[in-house]
Amino acid sequence: MKPLSGVRIADFTLHAAGPFCTHILSQLGAECIKIESAARPDIFRKPHPVYGRMGPASFDQVASNKLSVRINLKDAKGIALAKKLVAASDLVCESFRPGVMQRLGLGYAALAALKPSVVMVSVSSSGQSGPDSHFAGYAPLFGAWGALGYLTGYADGPPVEMRHVMDHSVGMNAAMAAVAAVYRLRRTGQGGHVDVSAREVACSLVGEALLFAAAGGNPARIGNDHLRMAPHGVFRTREEDRWLTIAVRTDDEWRSLVKLIDAPPLLSDPRFQTAASRHTHRQVLHGEIEHWTMTREAGEAERRLQAAGIAAHVSCNMEDIAHDRHLRERGTVVDVEDTTGRQRAALKAPIRFSKSDVGMTRGTPRLGEDEDYVFGELLGLSREDRQSLMDQQVIY
Amino acid sequence: MMDGAVAPLLAGVIVVEISRGVAASHAGRLLSTLGAETVLVEPPEGNPLRREPPFLPPANEASALFAFLAAGKKSITSDLNTPAGRAGLSALLSTADVLVHDLRPDERARLDLEEQTLRTRYPKLIDVSVLPFGAVGPKADWQAEEINLIHASGEGFLLPNGLAAELFPERPPLKVYGHFAEYQGGVVAALGALSALVGRDQDGAEAVDVSVQDATLAVGAFALQRFGDGSLEHRSTRSFKYGGVLECADGYVELLTLEERQWRGLIELMGRPDWMLDPALSDSLERSRRGAEINRVVRAWARELRTADIVARAQALGVPMAKYASPAEVLSGPHERARDLFQPVEIPGAGRLPVLSAPFHVDGAALPLSAGPPRLGEHQHLLTARRHRERPAAVAEVS
Repeated sequence: MKPLSGVRIADFTLHAAGPFCTHILSQLGAECIKIESAARPDIFRKPHPVYGRMGPASFDQVASNKLSVRINLKDAKGIALAKKLVAASDLVCESFRPGVMQRLGLGYAALAALKPSVVMVSVSSSGQSGPDSHFAGYAPLFGAWGALGYLTGYADGPPVEMRHVMDHSVGMNAAMAAVAAVYRLRRTGQGGHVDVSAREVACSLVGEALLFAAAGGNPARIGNDHLRMAPHGVFRTREEDRWLTIAVRTDDEWRSLVKLIDAPPLLSDPRFQTAASRHTHRQVLHGEIEHWTMTREAGEAERRLQAAGIAAHVSCNMEDIAHDRHLRERGTVVDVEDTTGRQRAALKAPIRFSKSDVGMTRGTPRLGEDEDYVFGELLGLSREDRQSLMDQQVIY
Repeated sequence: MMDGAVAPLLAGVIVVEISRGVAASHAGRLLSTLGAETVLVEPPEGNPLRREPPFLPPANEASALFAFLAAGKKSITSDLNTPAGRAGLSALLSTADVLVHDLRPDERARLDLEEQTLRTRYPKLIDVSVLPFGAVGPKADWQAEEINLIHASGEGFLLPNGLAAELFPERPPLKVYGHFAEYQGGVVAALGALSALVGRDQDGAEAVDVSVQDATLAVGAFALQRFGDGSLEHRSTRSFKYGGVLECADGYVELLTLEERQWRGLIELMGRPDWMLDPALSDSLERSRRGAEINRVVRAWARELRTADIVARAQALGVPMAKYASPAEVLSGPHERARDLFQPVEIPGAGRLPVLSAPFHVDGAALPLSAGPPRLGEHQHLLTARRHRERPAAVAEVS
């Protein structure tokens, strides 16, 4: 069993943030029915020349593990069909610009009138209400609006763009709030509308800095520095473009580090006597640490530091991640087969349960692959009805 | 609660939190803001996050990090190294739905809080472990802080991109500000707790093992997908070909035109200069090829302009653009105010201040923050109350 088995999702989401939400819910056991049309296919079905992809993706993480049906939402009969699907579902997820679902006749009020217990999850750049709710946006803009972009960067450099991690952070928050709403639904029968704002997710990732600013503080870009710890940073190693992260939290760890790198003069250096003083003189201190890391291979240094109880890790690229023994043993990184039959690394939902076995059971669906089950079995449409709707480009 | 208002999503759920780090603490906070009662069990000297910077001016006594993460929670102190302390915890756990914690496996054994022990003693309790690398696997006992975790999960290696990467190609890769990875761990732990709560009715309670590394890698899924496509992403090559971070006269904006109509909007925004009307540039691939050339002109143009003007004109033309808002600007933003993103609560040692509630509305409104962070041991009376509640339940079970 999976924890969310028995939960059915009518999934109207497109692009990254919304589909990631429903992808995670599907791995937790929800049955996720992805709604697209040939007129409006999701981005992974189209070429993406900027990424050098000239055809549809052979594997798309956020689309995988979902069932696929075609519904043309530009047609009134398509809307009627979508409503039938909603009536047979527990959860409706969508990521259109605010107002679009209402225009389609699929807004929360309309769907709640149809099915009072429906839980709807809307994901948008700025939320369903407020003066900026109509704004167009992508991940870097969410980060910019939400102060996360402003605060990230080298102290003497510009703000930094947030990329896909921003979209998927939004999706993960949406999944979490969705399950909270499912919990209430199961306890009380009460539905509801969850309205996730991407820029607010960015804010929530710097909530402490926003509070500090509210009290009159001035949070600023600090690169890889920490407000308290030193040494703390990303250090060069003997290997080209192979970096090592180190964070020293306590005096004991500081002494262990000095012993490990065999640099006793650091212990008597007046600049490095207290944690506060080490922090003040961190630039010089970091230079001293790099003398040692520059002579080492990153992996070897990492293991020696960990053995001494010091927080350290190599800066991993995706090749490291794909083959990482720890991540493989945890089942975080798994192999899946793409639509060409090739094996490749993918990610299982990042939660291990003691009893439930979560994860993907199928890859990226073909457009309309599951209509026999969804339109035929679930909604009870006859072959003739379906053919007629296809002829009218409603199922299209 | 107003008449006719529906119950909070997690009304009636009781969460006990034993935390030292941001991830477990954020999980407890999310559940509490969604309507659960989260009881923070602190050692006699207080949760370590109480001593983490930044501290709130002007008194510089209260930690902003702790105040944000503990807002709305209840606090009891309990020395788990003593039998009395463990008995107090036991009273709490006997009526709780969820225990969220970041105890290492060796600590769990020492405190007699191992998964199997909890399962036997509290059959309905959902045990949620949140550790840097999780509770299982070769790195389960490794040490890590935020900077290690964001690099262990791959995103650190890929930052910065865009303008910062262009300006400083030789510098070490850059972490995201603050506690990005640990917050991801918190969201995933809350998701795990809630999923297990939903599943409990059918299959009984189960334990949940969350790793901050796994959680952060999950939101970085796209880079692993690209690796499967044959591309090993690198911070120096993943920038957008044009647009991105632009410096203006009074700050920075982000510009991103991914769709054709947005590019056409940008032409209007820039006043239809001749070079942009070059027919060759109507092809998106050609624009990518000539990205550096486009950027030179766009950057020179933006430099003279004020952020508020350019953003308002851009959004009116359907060009995705946003100011890189400072925290102060976010706090006073009309949009954030309209959505009640920040709610004033009392913070001991700092006074009444606006604290972020949650990044979503439920049932048409922001989630109410019930209180600020608790004073150490402020809700100690819960221990006695729970002990009283516990006894009849235990008797009933025996009979």
